[in-house]
Formats: sequence, C-alpha cells, structure tokens
Amino acid sequence: MSYRISVDTGGTFTDVVVADDDGTLHIAKALTTYERAFEGVSTALEEIAGGLGLDLGALLAQSRQLTYGTTRATNAIVEAKTARTAFFTTEGFPDILLMREGGKLEPFRQVAYPAPYVPRHLTFEIRERMDAEATAFVPLDEASVLAAIREATGLGAQAIGVCLLWSTVNPAHELRVGELIAEHAPGLPFTLSHELNPIVREYRRASSTVIDASLKPVMQDFLVSLERDLSVAGFAGQLFVSTSFGGAWRPSEVVERPIYSVGSGPSMAPVAALTYGAAELADGGKPPDMLVCDTGGTTFDVGLVSDGDIHYTSETWLGGRWIGHITGTRAVDVKSIGAGGGSIAWIDSGGLIHVGPQSAGADPGPACYGRGGTEPTVTDAAVLLGYLDPSNFLGGRLSLDRDAAERAFAPLAQQLGMTTEQAAQATITLASENIVGAIREITIAQGIDPREVTIVAGGGASGLNIVPIARELGCERVLLPRTAGALSACGALYSNVISEFATSHYAETHHFDLEAVNATLAGIEAQAQAFLASLDGVEAVGQRLEYFVDARYRAQVWELPVALPGPRFDSQADVKALEDAFHDVHERVFAVREPGQYLECLTWKVRATAELAKTALAGRPAAGLAEAVPAEHAVASFRETGSLSVPRYDGATLPAGAELEGPAVIREPTTTVVLYPGSRAVVTDAGNYVLHVDPPGASAAAVAGPAGEVTVS
Amino acid sequence: MSSLDPVLLAVISNRLDTIVREMENTLLRSGRSAILNMARDFSCALVTGDNRLLATAEGLPVHVIGMEYLAEAMTELHDDVSEGDAFLHNDPYLGNTHPADHTILVPVFFEGRHVFTAAAKAHQADCGNALPTTYMPFARDVYEEGSLVFPAVRIQRDYEDVSDIIRMCRRRIRVPDQWYGDYLAMIGAARIAETRLRELCARYGSELMSRFIEEWFDYSERRMEGAIREMPAGTIIGHGRHDPLDPLPEGIPINVKITIEPEQGTVELDLRDNIDCVDAGINESRACATNNVMTGLFNSIDPDIPHNAGAFRRVRVLLRENCIVGIPRFPHSCSVATTNVGERLVVTTQRAIADAWEGYGLAEGACGIGPAFAVVSGEDWRRGDERYVNQNFLGSQGGPAGPEHDGWITYGNAVTNGLMFRDSVEIDEQKYPIRVRQIRMRTDSEGAGRQRGAPGAIVEFGPKQSTMNAAYVTDGFHNPPRGTRGGGDAAPSVPFRITADGAREPLAPIASVPLAPGELLGHELSGGGGYGDPLERELAKVRADVLARFVSLARARDVYGVVFAGEVLDDTLAVDEDATRRRRDELRAAH
Repeated sequence: MSYRISVDTGGTFTDVVVADDDGTLHIAKALTTYERAFEGVSTALEEIAGGLGLDLGALLAQSRQLTYGTTRATNAIVEAKTARTAFFTTEGFPDILLMREGGKLEPFRQVAYPAPYVPRHLTFEIRERMDAEATAFVPLDEASVLAAIREATGLGAQAIGVCLLWSTVNPAHELRVGELIAEHAPGLPFTLSHELNPIVREYRRASSTVIDASLKPVMQDFLVSLERDLSVAGFAGQLFVSTSFGGAWRPSEVVERPIYSVGSGPSMAPVAALTYGAAELADGGKPPDMLVCDTGGTTFDVGLVSDGDIHYTSETWLGGRWIGHITGTRAVDVKSIGAGGGSIAWIDSGGLIHVGPQSAGADPGPACYGRGGTEPTVTDAAVLLGYLDPSNFLGGRLSLDRDAAERAFAPLAQQLGMTTEQAAQATITLASENIVGAIREITIAQGIDPREVTIVAGGGASGLNIVPIARELGCERVLLPRTAGALSACGALYSNVISEFATSHYAETHHFDLEAVNATLAGIEAQAQAFLASLDGVEAVGQRLEYFVDARYRAQVWELPVALPGPRFDSQADVKALEDAFHDVHERVFAVREPGQYLECLTWKVRATAELAKTALAGRPAAGLAEAVPAEHAVASFRETGSLSVPRYDGATLPAGAELEGPAVIREPTTTVVLYPGSRAVVTDAGNYVLHVDPPGASAAAVAGPAGEVTVS
Repeated sequence: MSSLDPVLLAVISNRLDTIVREMENTLLRSGRSAILNMARDFSCALVTGDNRLLATAEGLPVHVIGMEYLAEAMTELHDDVSEGDAFLHNDPYLGNTHPADHTILVPVFFEGRHVFTAAAKAHQADCGNALPTTYMPFARDVYEEGSLVFPAVRIQRDYEDVSDIIRMCRRRIRVPDQWYGDYLAMIGAARIAETRLRELCARYGSELMSRFIEEWFDYSERRMEGAIREMPAGTIIGHGRHDPLDPLPEGIPINVKITIEPEQGTVELDLRDNIDCVDAGINESRACATNNVMTGLFNSIDPDIPHNAGAFRRVRVLLRENCIVGIPRFPHSCSVATTNVGERLVVTTQRAIADAWEGYGLAEGACGIGPAFAVVSGEDWRRGDERYVNQNFLGSQGGPAGPEHDGWITYGNAVTNGLMFRDSVEIDEQKYPIRVRQIRMRTDSEGAGRQRGAPGAIVEFGPKQSTMNAAYVTDGFHNPPRGTRGGGDAAPSVPFRITADGAREPLAPIASVPLAPGELLGHELSGGGGYGDPLERELAKVRADVLARFVSLARARDVYGVVFAGEVLDDTLAVDEDATRRRRDELRAAH
C-alpha cells in the first residue's frame, strides 16, 4: 500500500488527510503548533497511522507525496513578523505604498489611515526613469543605487523589493539594480518587480514586490526546517507546498516566490469542489457551475467554479480592501464574508435586529461553549433550536451549555418582544440573509446567476444554515461532502502543479501587430515550457498550456481576463475571434456588449499545468444498516413549523442511496447537516450528501414569506 | 393593525441595498470615463413610485440626495411613463446636480403599476461644453457654458434606444464613443435594478412591499431622531469663504445657520442668508445646495443611519430662489455645482458644528479640483493625433481631523470623502501622451492638532510631444482649510508651472492653460485642518509623522513642541522628553 498525504494548517487546527491506493480518505485534526509546524502534523499523522496499523515512520516511508498548505506567510504578514524590508523606487515616487490606489469603505466613518507596507524611512529613491514607450528618459544613476544599498543595509534591511516605473516594458534598470545588490550586498534576498509580477499599475506591482521580498527569509527558514523534519521522520517522497493559485509547487519554487503561498489554504476548497463536483454531479463529463462555501467560526469563504474552471482574481487584499496591502498576484478568488458560528446578534437604536459583523470568535467563543462568552451568537441559536446536539458536538469533543445559550438570548428576546426561540430563529434567518446578500454580490459581479449554480458546502458550521441560504438564493441543489470539515485539505490532495507566466505588451486590436504579439507569446511560452521541463522527478500524468490576455474596451479603466483563441495569432480572423470572445465575457459580466469597439490588450499570460497522479474517490465504507434509521428523535424548532420532534441520524450508519426528508438532522464527526422542512438529502455512493431544496413558498410548511408577521396590539 | 415582522424589515432592506450595490458595481467596472471609474463620481439609488428616496447603499449624499427630484421631473413632465422606458436627465434647474452628471431613470413596473424608479448617475468625460472641460467656472450663463441639457428626455422606449437622442449626443459630445460606453453602463445598471426589483415584488407581493416602504422610512426616521436627541441644543452660524473668482474679488462668502433641536429631534439648516446667484459657473443647483449642507451634518453624526426620505424628515433645509447656495435662477450656470462652492458648504457646516460642541463635527478638509485633478485635452501622436479629453486623478489632498482620528490621506475632496480612487501613473501615461515627474507627500502641509489633518501631496506632470491643455478650479489658495478647537490651518493649495528651462512660475488658481512639451504643470495640494491643541498630540504620533516625512523636525519643535535627541530620520530617532516638556511649556506660555 502507498499513500498520499495532504495538510491544511489553519489558525487553530491542522487538518491532515491521508489517501490510500483505494481512494479511501483518513482524516485527523490536531492543534496547530506555531513553533515547529511538523509537531502538529505528526500528532495527527500518528493518529491516522494507528488506525492503519502502522507507526508514523512506516506511514511516511510508504507515502509518495505530501502536499503542505500553510498559513505561515499570511500569519507573518498579519503579525508583522516578516523580514525588515527596504523598498527601492523611481525617484519622485516614494509614497506609492502609502497612497495605494485611494478608496475607502465607509465614507462617513472616521478611521485611522493605515501605514504603508514599508515605512518611508526604509524607502529609497533611485535616480532613473523609463518611459511608457520603453525608452530610458532618465538614465540609471548607479551612485543613487549604491547609496540606497549602503543606507538600507546600514539600517538593518534583511530584504529589498525593487519596483521601478515601466520596468515591465524595459527591465534594464531593474536588472542592473539587481546586479548591484548581488554585488554589494551578497546574499541579501531581493525581488525585482518585473520578474515577479509584470503587470502595469505601479502600486500593485510594488506591493507584490515588497511583500514577496519580506517573506523570503521567513519562508526559506520554514521550508528548510520542514523538509529536514520530514526527512528525519522517514519521508522520502515528493514534498509540495500549496499555492494561492490552487496548485502545488516544490519548496524551491516557493522560496523563489513566497508571495504565492499567501492565502493558499482557502484556495484549495474550490479545488476540492471541482473534484467532488466532477465525481458526484457531472452531467456529460463536466461539473456544473458551483459556488463553493467554506464556513469557519468567524468567516464564510466563497469561491466560484464555472465552465469547469476555478475563478481567479488579481485583487487579493490583506487587511481590508483598498486600505490594506494588495498582493497583486493572480490567486484563486476566495472572498471572505464576516459571518460565522460566532457572529453576534444585536439590536440598534431604531429597534432593528442585526447579526454581526462582531464575532465572539474562538475565544471566548459562543456562550454555549462555556468559556465566558455572554453574547448571543449563531451557534447559540443553533443549540436553542435543537440543531446542534449539546452532548454530541464535533463527535463528542466539546459539550455545549444550553442554559448559557438561553441566558445569552433572553435580553435580546425581551427587547424584541419575542420568545428566545423566535429570537434564535430571527438570528439564523438574518445570519443567512447576510450571507445571501454577499453571495449575490459576488456571483452577480462575475456574471453568474446564483439560481443556476450548485452549492458545495464545506467547513464545520456550513450545514447549520446552508439550506435556507440555498433557498433564498433560489439554488436548488447542495453538495455537502462527508469530509466537509476538512475541505481545503482534501483539495490539496487533488491539486496539480500550476504556474503562470506573464508579460506586459500593449496592443490594440484595430491595428494589431501580429508578429509583435506572437513574439511576446513565444517568449512566455518558452518560460512555461522550461518550467514544465524542470519538473523531472515529479510524477506528472499530463501537461497543458493555456493562453490568456487581460483586455478592455477602448478607454475603459479595468481589464477582464479572456482566453485566447489559440497559442498564436495567424491572421486577422484570430484577432476577430479574440474580440468576439471578449464581447461575450463583457456581456456575461456587465450585461452589455459594444460590437465594433476595439480592445486594448495589456498583459499576456501562459498557464502551465502538470497534472499529478490522483486516486479516485472511494466508495462509502459499508454502512452498518440496510436502511436509514435515526439514532434518536429530539425536539427542534423551525420558523415554518414551530417546535416538533425530528429524527437525528448518525452519518456513518446511512447506506448509499438513502433519502432523508426534512425536518431532520444528520451528525457527522466534523460537521452537522440540518435538513429544514422542504428539503431532502440523498446519500451518494461515495457517501456524500446531495441536498435538494424546494424554492421559497413551494413547501406546504413554508409559510414564512408574506404571512410571516407578528401582530401588535 | 399589524406591523411587519422585524426580521422581514431587515431582510428586505438588505435586499434593496444589494440591488443598489449591484448597480454600482456594473457602473464602476464597465464605465469608460476616468472620472466615473476613478473618482467614483457616479451614484445609484432606488426611488419609490411616488418619488421618495428609498435606498442608496453606501452612496455619498452629494450624489444620491436629490435623485427623488429627478424622478419627480420624469413623472411631472410625462403622462405616459411606460414599461421599457428610460429617461436621460441632466437638467440642474429640474433637480439634477450639474449638466456633466448624466442620469438614467428607469421606471419599474409591477402588475401594471409604476412602483419604483431606478436611477443611475455618472459624471461624463465631456458634456458638450463650450470648452473641453466639464467645469466652466467663468461661464456667465448656461448659453456660454454650452452643455447639452436634457430635462428628463425619453432615451429608450420598449427597451430600444431612441436614436435621435443618441445621435444628438454623439454629434455634440467630444468623445462620442466614451459617452456611449458610459451610457450603456448606466442603462445596464438601471435595467439590472429593474429585473431585481420585479423579482423582489414577486417574492413578497406588492401589498407587503408597500408596507415595508412605510415601515422602513419610520425606522430610518427613528434612527435619525435618536441621533439628534443626543446632540446639544442651540443655533450656530458657520462662516466660510471660497477663493476669489471674477466677479467676486473678495471671494465667495458662505453662511450656514444650523439649529439643533434635540427635544423635537430635528435639525434646521438655513442657507437663505447668502448672496444672490452670480454670473459665473459656480452657482449651486437645488440638489447640490441641499445635499452638500446635509453631508456636513452627516459627517458629524452616527455613520450607520440610513440616508433616505425617512431620515430626512428630521432635517429641514431652507433655501431661497436666486441664491448662490439655493435654488438657481435660469439661466445662471451651475457648471461647477458639485465641487468648489459645494465643498465649502460641506466643510463650513461640519466645522461650525465642531467649533460649537466638543466631540462633534470635523475640521475643514481640502477643497477644489486644482491642477492635480485637471481636465486635460489634446491630441495623441501615438494614435494618429486622436483627440483625448479626460480628468486626471493623480493628486491626493488632505482630509480633516476629527475628535478621535487624524485626517484621511487620500481624501480626494470634501464631496468624495475618501471614496475617490487615484490614477495609476503607468495607466495614465499609457492612455495619454503625458509624463508624470513626481507624486510625493508634501511635508508640513497638514493642519496641526491633537488630531492632525492629513498632509497633501506634490504633483508634477506634463505633455511629451504636443501641447496639452489643462483646465482646473483650485480652491484653498487664499483660504486654506481651517482647523477647529485649537487645531491649526493647513497649508494652501498652490498651482505652478515649471518651464522648459526648469524655472518655477506661479499659475492662476482658476485657469485653463496650454503646456508645451518640456513644461510641467505643478500642484502643491493642501492638507486638512487640525482638531485640538497640537501641544497635546501624543509624542509617538509626532515621531511617526516625522519619520513619514509628513512633518519636519523644525515644525515638530515649533508647532507640536516636540524635541528629538537626534536628526537622523530612522529607527534611532528618539523624543527628548525633558526638552519636549520644557518646549511645550514655553509654547503654552507664549500663547
């Protein structure tokens, strides 16, 4: 037997999944260890090894591949524990990182202005200037470079990010600065903007560059120690590190461009969804369009898959949109909504009830955790409504205090003139509503109609209200994998080696220089091919290249990515095909097209994928029973029905093909599925759940809509 | 009598805001002109069938208050408003802000009744003015201004363009493709709202939606009333002044009389004691007079209060006919109504409140659209001498300090309140034949204070191979943003030119200037005013400002009374606490 391992390190828990040759998944969770990452991993691996009748060394020795997802880079940035980094910029522009691109979320809220990623006193102006037309308008003054290197090292800089204006169209100055750093500060890590992220827009490129440089020393140390620990413990397979691109890289590639490990954990949930969707929902071989939801204690993460492709973004902000720091690199588009099990219900001065954005978080957590929380949260509401079993939560790992939840809800209920049960229902409804609103914005902004997608739900808390969320979105089908609690780790198991190569070359389609564009494409294609060729020793079962351009209509400000009709432009017909493809994308996203208008093309890209060997999804382990039998009945309350006795099932006992009618509750070791009235669950052959949700008003029991009123005297 | 389930109230209001955001997103991402995209000089709102402002999401009052006047003009001028119609409205004498703001109004029908109006407004790159700029400060009347004015004119019928109107616009607007792209973006936004509102009505029924509307207005009114009840009572008059402009060599005085009546839970904003309309393009429209003075109020209270007709029931705005900040008398020009004098209304109001009551209001923020926000035009040699006209957003001027926080650095101006985006230098240089020489923070430009105003920036840019024209309307050169409660004034806003041989020469604050290749247009932008005594500012904050080059060592010593042990601007810079204590005592004694 041989194994594949994947690890997803979260803020609190480290999830570990081991797949055997039959495709059976073994899952364990351990507390994340910050000092030495391997400790948490080895604890979980020992638990799994024990179940397989092996010891840790034997399991590792028989493992061919380990894919490691880490929040190390993200945490280092959030906690300001990155390397002391200097920023070299074109003379005249020392405040690029301070001013960013402007913008603010709430115009009437006074808040403190956020500091730049690199402080001004570690920012150095280089005397030089490239022009938009690639000419050196001001030649490079090497003395200014040497002075900057001297001062930066004198101030204890441990890394340097270099971003000069227009280095994307003529990198000569940036390259020379790199040579001078290597010569005069040997061994000091540095990043050149045109090599890391050759996009137009100086703030984004500069931000990428300094973030990347600041992570180099940290990630180098971290990965070297991880490789050593694994090797000492007996692992001799191929180590991969998850990237924000939803793929995997070898450690050497991550050390070169560590910014790509930022946000790598959440990027794996859509990868998992793609795999499960293809296996469980495929219609004619292609998975449906999917909305991937991953719920934690404080956030609800949403990603999208359409036409079989995961959605990407170039706008990932750390610490808040517009006011934090943009990574500027391409990444799987996962948006976080501030809504989770810890979100707090409250009433404003006008008497309106709200849920969140304040959260009880993990500490003290919801009142029912009994750790000192007193505010009413979504989790407390779920306990009061009988959705969560106080004596059997997370497979019995935590017992919940129902009385504490009741006490937390009492004042809110009194203010609203409701019972605590009604207040709890209101909380679930509004928590779901917040998510519905955010999902509508996210999907519609990308031209996806939420009524036409299938939801794939992951995360420990998603089962609590995914049914009402789906119902209000008008989405009729939800896939809830049995392994929902470790969706990202499962995704890492199914990821490929992916890298993207880009270059800026401005072109307009109304007088398109075929040769110049083809030469541009040939250049990045060669880089992509060299990358694939360098993957010797990696068990790839297939390779592919895909071609894209970021383009916009004449005079627009923002670009849309669009796939190229082919790897080269052979004739004007190919240019026309590109324009047509762009019209379609523009119409999908913005509801309008402008036939006859030409395109401005900015950044050209080639994506290289080496597909890794994967094991198929295994069937469900034989269930103990021939038909679905509830473990018990307990009282639960729904808005549509009031309190009633509902069956509680243990997931492990359910046979494939079983159909369960709501209202009911299904308990899994890492999640709980609440089947509201007007919904059904079908257990698939692989043991996952497909939920069918009736539209609002369709269920005889659903009287909440227009009739949902209270009478006041 | 039954009232709506409070949960349903929250749910439906959230849905309406989601619809507005969906409209905004469509406009923002698919619009063409930089002023729409970058300055976010656009807005979307939902108005009830009987013309009350219902939902605005997080839109700026300067944009959204007054959308109801536009809908009103539509229903009063047309007795055949039908499904499939869309109206183009930019008439400042009939409720619009200024002619450069084109608004698309789509009446939304459900079960045969006109139940909502969806409104999408966007500032255009060009609106057919006599000169290639959307701001005409010197226009003596609407004829000299020259813009095409559409008083709620039907531009779509049965969901199809009325081609006559489209052709008129394409003929008289300098950048017809850009205009048409923005028009499509506005139509797209309004039509999306139409679809969503119909779905919402189908989901909840028209009877329940009608009840929702009344209850939502009642709720919003309660929020506003509650906020006003917590304020101190009294009547105050704020005086402000816009920089001189022909025919007003002493500048334009602004008087705002504010009466807070906590017992009644109401506020009165009286603008009647101001000069008459002038023969220049700087008169306020009724929409701008109202929404700018209200912005000053909203800057001073709970930011979470919904901005709709319900909350506005608690605010009385008193205007008079033929007043520069009132109801404009035709044909006085309102070309520049949204900025300059409008901004002065905002900052005068918020500062008057701050002066009167500790803990409320803000200092003055930077005003005007000087050279760093100039409308530039010319011909692009790289594109066969194709004509370009667009507004630049390279600048950054300082926001006002408040009771708790320093000013916001990328504030934009008083009417965008920090929402404004900034241009990428590289994108501007790619789009237009210009080169930017520098953009850096301007040391010592902040209004000092316990909370300081934000510093401004220094910006220099110019054409490369052929002449570029730049039109701008600076304010704050003569009357820089003022501080409050002991806080200092900011540095003035200074336009200048750098000639081909490198010499610096002054430029008029309000002008349209040609720049030859090799010349640079420059702008030292003002900061925001400070709040509270700078001698009370925390030492660590002064140190951080010095390290950031916001404040010089000399100014730290002379204005903040902070003395440092060394002069090297790095981590070793340390406050000399003893010397600082002595210095602050000295400065206090000298006061």
